[in-house]
Amino acid sequence: MNLMKNLFTTIVAILFAVSTSAQADLLQKANEHYTKNEFKQAIDEYNKILMTNMESSEVYFNLGNAYYKTGQNTLAILNYERAKLLSPDDEDVNFNLQVANQHVVDAIQELPGIFIVRWWNSLVNSQTTDTWAVFSIVAFIAFLVLLGIYFFAKSGDIKRVAFGIGSLCLVFTIFSWSFAAQQKGRLVNHSYAIVIQPTVTVKSSPAETGTNLFVIHEGLKVKITDKLGDNWVEVKLGDGNKGWLLVESIERI
Amino acid sequence: MIRKFKVLIFLMFVGFVAFADNIHFVMEGPEAVAVGEQFRLGFTLNDSGSDLQLPDLSNFDVLMGPSTSQSSSIQIINGRTTQSSSFSYIFILRAKKEGKFTIRPASIKVEGKTYESNSLTIQVVKGQPQAQQQQSSGQQSSGQQSAQGQDDTPVGSVSRDNLFVKVAVDKSNVSKGEQIISTVKLYISQNVPLNGFDEVKLPTYEGFWTKDIAVPTQVNFTREVYNGKIYQVGILKKTILFPQQTGTIKISPFEITCLVRQRVRQQQGFFDDFFDNYRVVKAKVVSDPVAIQVKDLPNAPANYSGAVGNFSITSSLDKTSVKSNEAITLKLTVNGSGNLSLINAPKIEFPQDFETYDAKTSDRLNASEGGLNGSITFEYLFIPRFAGTFTIPATDFVFFNPSSRQFETKRTEAFTLKVEKGAEDSNSSVVSSFSKEDVKMIGKDIRFIKQNNLKLTVKGSSFYGTFEFYGIFILSIIAFVVVFVLNRKKIKENANIQLVKNKRANKVALKRLKEAAVFLREHKAEQFYEAVIKALWGYLSDKLSIPVADLNREKTASSLLDRGIDQETVAELMHLIDDCEFARYAPAAYTGTMNDVYNGAAKVMGIFEKQIK
Repeated sequence: MNLMKNLFTTIVAILFAVSTSAQADLLQKANEHYTKNEFKQAIDEYNKILMTNMESSEVYFNLGNAYYKTGQNTLAILNYERAKLLSPDDEDVNFNLQVANQHVVDAIQELPGIFIVRWWNSLVNSQTTDTWAVFSIVAFIAFLVLLGIYFFAKSGDIKRVAFGIGSLCLVFTIFSWSFAAQQKGRLVNHSYAIVIQPTVTVKSSPAETGTNLFVIHEGLKVKITDKLGDNWVEVKLGDGNKGWLLVESIERI
Repeated sequence: MIRKFKVLIFLMFVGFVAFADNIHFVMEGPEAVAVGEQFRLGFTLNDSGSDLQLPDLSNFDVLMGPSTSQSSSIQIINGRTTQSSSFSYIFILRAKKEGKFTIRPASIKVEGKTYESNSLTIQVVKGQPQAQQQQSSGQQSSGQQSAQGQDDTPVGSVSRDNLFVKVAVDKSNVSKGEQIISTVKLYISQNVPLNGFDEVKLPTYEGFWTKDIAVPTQVNFTREVYNGKIYQVGILKKTILFPQQTGTIKISPFEITCLVRQRVRQQQGFFDDFFDNYRVVKAKVVSDPVAIQVKDLPNAPANYSGAVGNFSITSSLDKTSVKSNEAITLKLTVNGSGNLSLINAPKIEFPQDFETYDAKTSDRLNASEGGLNGSITFEYLFIPRFAGTFTIPATDFVFFNPSSRQFETKRTEAFTLKVEKGAEDSNSSVVSSFSKEDVKMIGKDIRFIKQNNLKLTVKGSSFYGTFEFYGIFILSIIAFVVVFVLNRKKIKENANIQLVKNKRANKVALKRLKEAAVFLREHKAEQFYEAVIKALWGYLSDKLSIPVADLNREKTASSLLDRGIDQETVAELMHLIDDCEFARYAPAAYTGTMNDVYNGAAKVMGIFEKQIK
């Protein structure tokens, strides 16, 4: 069943690859609009590309730029975050996101966290899911080659070296596999969101009668930690505060 | 050349005009008279003329005239003699009826040429029967004053009709910054003799920026009709006002104390009818306050210069091609009428790494009846530090035009500046060429869009977790297993070949040693050793392709070593041959057994068979 689904996805991907030229035209048109400072038209064209269920970090980035230029800062942040999700290590994306975030009202003091955890996360985020997947494959093949060398080498030294490097490759394979899985999880789960309503009051419980905890403003990035029904979600801020708000006040990245 | 020519023509023209214009023919008369009043109409000519043609004077009675008079003067200044003469023709006229009459120009002939005078407008007002009454009221009041006065110049009061001050403004409803001309006028009735002025208190003009218009210090009185009465009017002060705040601004009253001569009638005395007694009284007059409505300007554009009026702008660059580190001046001149002194220097967008200095401001202003006119010049000094071609962009000068109540923009031209590399040895170039500069952050903006690299993927899809991803793992494992198994098998096969080879080599060795084996079983020592030697030499001869006759120990050893047999095996062979020879020729000294020799020979031959191809 799973195999069938994958096969189907592959076929769809191939079909879309055929129609990529049409989207390339759209993208070029959109970029031309942007260059001529016609940001509204550019936004429409970029959205047309995204409407075809296709995405790319560049399209999100350019769309974010167009929104920023028209003053729609919140949507700009949302699209930069989406671009960042697809290519976490892109310098331009991070720079523009930082510029756009300067317009956000709320100054959230990020919890520093344990430095090993931070290192770990930045290591995981340094590559996309596909890059980690390719890494794991390359490392696994290297492991197999070294295993072969270990088995067939006559000299004891070569055997020892092959064993050592081979073990490292196997460890690397396992780690990059898990990193890929983690990154994929981020892509699929959409557990982060941007506040899109100008001002939102966060409640202590998922009901209008809940105590008002604090007020956040548009453009802020929050983590979705829980959900109740179709209306209420629990979010966690960068400083660790948690509370419930209506789902329409945020947009998932 | 052309320029010189122009100057010449101009000079000639000036000379000609000066010559032709030597003749002045002027008509003079009062501006306002009363009906029945006699007045003088005079014509002045600075040369002798003839045939004076008078204009139509039917609205007036000509009582007398013309009475001519002549005056001439000769001046000698520094040896230069100038002679001037003037001829005047005077008519005495009387106004017949009320109204405004224009006397058309008169003409006169001088040396056959006809010259025309100016024209004149005279306003005739109703006769003033109250002239007598005025005089009597003046006497009355002075009489009262004399009773009260303690000062030697008593404070008198003169009726408001006869003496008053007016502050006149040309506009009373203006925009902020728009110029207003305020004139302070003194009105004196004809029959009030004025001796002079005392204390003058000028208005403070609070809320205005002011500029005085020069008026002669000696007040010139002209006749003017006001409320149907003729007055002597003197202009005391003229000021241009620029309102600086909005709303209703009140101009504080103007106060002046006039010294007025009045006749005093004293007790009947002997000389009273004969001499009139006069004395001077002080009359303080105060003007009415004037209110001015000031409207605020509409929403100003960002680059509004603060100017209100009507202006034009020109700009010039003293050099357009320079070497780096040379100073250049950009001159911006604003010409026109308005609040010139209050204009801020327009901001010029110089290229970023130019060294710029604050603008120097100089003005040439002329305050006159038409307002504040002239020009204001901004000089911008700047120094390009690097070579290249630069553009100094056009500058917008935004001002408010009160007549259209709109902001207008005048634009200067843009300049292209060519900067060549300056001399290396100049001090400043040393400074700038060897000091590194940080890249200046001029503005902050997001980075530009990405133009290429379209790698569209289906939303949420990734290589990880796909069929291909797992497939590659599984395939590589399968490939590994296959390669492993194949390799194992081949190794096994290789091992078998080795076995066969060994078998064959042993076979050869055993075949050669067959004879020796027979002797070994029969324990025939001498024959055994001989057979072994023979077999060895025969084998080596066959293997090394050397005839048996040529074989000796040295040759055998060297050629065996050449074929890659190791030293150990060769030494073993030599030892074996030695043993055999010992056993044959000195059996008593030999301690080894025949079996050892047989096995040694078989082993050595086996090694050779394997290693020599």
